[in-house]
This record gives sequence, structure tokens and C-alpha cells, in this order.
Amino acid sequence: MSERALAFGLAAALRHWWLPLVWLGLLLLASLGMAELEAGFRWLEPDSREVIYRRTDFLTLLGRHLLVVGVASLLAGLAGVGAAVLVTRPFGRDFLPLVAQLASMGQTFPPVAVLALAVPVLGFGTLPIIVALVLYGLLPIVRNSLAGLQGIDPAVQEAARGMGMSKGQVLRQVELPLAAPVILAGVRTSVTINIATAALGATVGASNLGDPIISGIVNGNTAYIVQGALPIGLLALTADSAFERLLRHLR
Amino acid sequence: MIELFDVTKRFGSETAVDGISLRVERGEFCALVGTSGCGKSTTLRMINRLIEHSAGEIHLDGQPVRNFDEQTLRRRIGYVIQSTGLFPHWTVARNIGLVPRLLKWPRARIQARVEELMTLLGLPMESFADKYPHQLSGGQAQRVGVARALAADPEILLMDEPFGALDPITRDALQEELRDLQSRLHKTIVFVTHDMDEALRLADRLVVMDAGRIVQQGVPLDLVREPADAFVASLLGGDDRGFKEAALTRVGARMLPLSPRLIARARVHREASLRQALAVMFREHADRLTVVDDEDMPVGELSLRRLVGARPHE
Repeated sequence: MSERALAFGLAAALRHWWLPLVWLGLLLLASLGMAELEAGFRWLEPDSREVIYRRTDFLTLLGRHLLVVGVASLLAGLAGVGAAVLVTRPFGRDFLPLVAQLASMGQTFPPVAVLALAVPVLGFGTLPIIVALVLYGLLPIVRNSLAGLQGIDPAVQEAARGMGMSKGQVLRQVELPLAAPVILAGVRTSVTINIATAALGATVGASNLGDPIISGIVNGNTAYIVQGALPIGLLALTADSAFERLLRHLR
Repeated sequence: MIELFDVTKRFGSETAVDGISLRVERGEFCALVGTSGCGKSTTLRMINRLIEHSAGEIHLDGQPVRNFDEQTLRRRIGYVIQSTGLFPHWTVARNIGLVPRLLKWPRARIQARVEELMTLLGLPMESFADKYPHQLSGGQAQRVGVARALAADPEILLMDEPFGALDPITRDALQEELRDLQSRLHKTIVFVTHDMDEALRLADRLVVMDAGRIVQQGVPLDLVREPADAFVASLLGGDDRGFKEAALTRVGARMLPLSPRLIARARVHREASLRQALAVMFREHADRLTVVDDEDMPVGELSLRRLVGARPHE
């Protein structure tokens, strides 16, 4: 009986999550089996000595890419949601315009410029790209968190207070859950953008899926560029569709 | 018991409530009426400290409300608002169980209480417990709102135009239910409305407010008979005031014993109001009605002269 229930649950989960799973499958296939596509890449780049990027294997590059994006998104999420919560409290309301503006400025600042400014201070490696991604990814999260928190029906907040919930209880049990779909939509945008932007890290020595691309540009090897771009694209699609399903699940 | 002593609320330079004093006895249904912006909602919300008063004192059973912790105070006072304020991400059952959960009641007790309230308010557990607020009609949602306010069995209930957004038929039904509920539960209720008929129908005591002050307060019938000024008179319907008065008196109070004359064909229930009796006369083109009881048995009669209270020699 429980086996049947388990199978039933699994089937339901599969029906819900099939799209991100398909993209994930393709991503893993591409990362593990890039060398199998040698013939295709040879056709794309007939004159090069080497057509498969072999300095680091793709699974490692993918892992590092994920780590950078994950850490940056986590930081941007905490900072973004935290800031939005603070400026929607009575004591922080004066800072609302300032935070909204700062977040917008973060996105008008090109990540390349952030990298150029950050490297002299933080040195080469992973740190500058994380800083750039956090700044760049902050806007969608802050903007959506503000929209989500401010969009809650005032009557619901009034009732919550009137029933005797503390400020913390109102935030945790009412405001955040109600704003969650909108906040998550912001995180989705932020993560998807950052998966692509993280490739820039390769220019300042943060090894990730941007490596083959930069190497391809430097050596004039189109095959390398495709080998970096393909997993990045699949990763972005996986993350985006996973968020889309998660949002649908929440609503 | 709720007491307000010379309570004032200022918002900046504006005075919303201007030195009002009011006493609502235990078990009394008190309606605050007046035009929009007269300060009635502000007064209500000062009682559970959603708004802090600027001057004066508000007492709950002899204790100043400022002596209570805000949350403790509000969990002791039921609160119903016009737009219900139900949490859209919670089921009906979870919404109703909110205050008991805040008070950390054991789970089984909460469950039992929620079930009791849903039955009390005509929301069958099996069809409503797991519904979400957006799946309810306006009337059902407000029933849930009332159930939520009653959940922890508070002695005091504050209601801010609870039926203002409902269609007339639903509003009528809910008013009737609230009257019924109150006759069993005997809560101390402060009820804000701008609908005078609603106030007359429900309240034991009427408090008329204008521009932040109390203009007149008293038993509904006294206000209808002797409004303090032109404002109260117009609020009570101007020339229609007679109908409001008729609506406040039961047929049973005016009827005479059955006379040996032929029994009138048109009949009216003993518990109906004089206003309803008048409507029956008008519809049936009759100047005499037979008054009947629940079993439709004649118990008396009511003539038009008697209904309007005409003195015999006029």
C-alpha cells in the first residue's frame, strides 16, 4: 500500500517537475559528454588543433559556476529581502526611497565596471565576481520584495494586528508568506541573469563555465565559445523553469 | 464593561475625537452611528489600541487599557472589520483558530472550538473547513470573520461596519443571526455603522456622533421620539422617523384582546413590528388585523387607530 502511495507521489512530482528535470538532464549530458560531440565541433572549427576544451572538465566548471551564482544569489536574497523588510517597517520608512534608488543604481552599474573596480581592492579570483553579481542581482529582488510587501491588503494587516499578533508574528506568518510569490519571482530574475553574468568571472581568474568562452575569444576558437555558452544556457533554463514550477506550486 | 473618560484623539492639528465620555455596560450592545469622518471608527479602534488616544482615559473593567500589553489586550477583544481581513493564504479553519493559537491553547481544544464556532455560524465543517477565503461568498467570509473574533470567547466584541459591504439580503440575514447570537452569548459589543436601520435593529443603546463629539445617546426608541437636534433627526430619517419608531415596537405591545366582532382576514405575527403590520394593512387594504402566535392561532387584534396610537376622541 505504502509502495503504491510512494509511486503515486513520485508520479505526481514528475508530472509537476518534468520540464526543469528535462533541462537538468540535458545540462548533465552536455557537461559529461562534451567530448562525444567532437565531430560536430570539428565541423564548426575545422582549422584548430584542438576543438574540445580540456583544461578543466566541464562538471568541475559547472560546479564552480553554481557555487558562485549560489553564494551571490543567497547574499543578494538576504540583503534584498532584508532591506525591503526594514524599509517597510514604521521605523525604516524614511529610508524607502533611498534603498529603492540604491538598488536601481546597482543595476545601472555594468558588472564589468564593478569587476574592474573590485579587482584592485579584492584581488583576482572568485571574490570580485561575487561582489559584482550581488550588486547586479540586488535590484530585481529588492524591487519585487518591496512590491510584494507593499501589495498586501491593508485590511489583512489591520486584522492581524487587531487579533493580537506581535510585529514578528505578522511579518513571519502573514506578510512574508503573502509576499513570497512576488519575492520569489524577483529571485528568479536575479538568478537567471546572474547565471549568464557569472561567466565574466573568467576574466578576473574565477574559473567557471566562462573559462571556455574567454579562452575561445582569446584564441579565436568558436567551438570553445559554444562549449561554454551551451551549458550556461542550459543551466539558466534549468533554474528558470525550476523557479517557474516552484512559483506555480506556491500559488 | 468599557468606559471612556473625556477621550480625545488628535492627528497632527486635526481633532478626530473630541473629549467623549461613554460607558458600555457588560452584555450591552452599543452602536456608534454618524456620518463618515465623525470619529466613530477612531473611537472603536482606540478601545483595542490600534489607535492610541491623545488624552483622557479608556478603562476595561475598571483597568486603564494602557496598563495592558497591546497584544494581550487585543487577544481578549474580538475584532471584526468590514473587509473581513481574513488571511488569504490560510484555510477557513486556520483563520478561525488564529487567536486560540496565539494564546497557545492545546491543539485538540482549538480543533473543538473551531468546530463549535463553525456550527454556531452555519458553516458546516465538512464543506468549509478546508476552503480558502477567496472561495467564499461575501456573507460566508463575514461569518468566518465573526467566528474568528469569537474564537477565544472574548467578553468584548468590536465591530467596524461588519455588514457594510454586503448585499441587502445577506446583510439582513447576518443582522438577524447576530441578534440571535447576542441573545445567547451576551457579549459586550461596540458596533460602528452609518446605517441607521441596522443600528436601530441591533442596538440596546445608540450613540450618535458628529465631528468627533457625542451628540446624543440613549435607548433607540427615545432617540427616535425625541432627537436632540436637527442633525440627529435627519440621521434618523427626517420625515420617515415615524417608520423607524414603528419598526422598534412589537405588534404584541399594542394589540388588544380578540373582540367578539368578526375576525379580520389579514393577519400578522405577534412578534412582527408595527411597521410590518402597517405594511400588511396597506397591502391587504384592511384597517384591522388579526394577531397570531407561532402556531398561527389568533391571540388578539390590531386596528389602524390602535397601531398609530391615536387618542380615542380625536
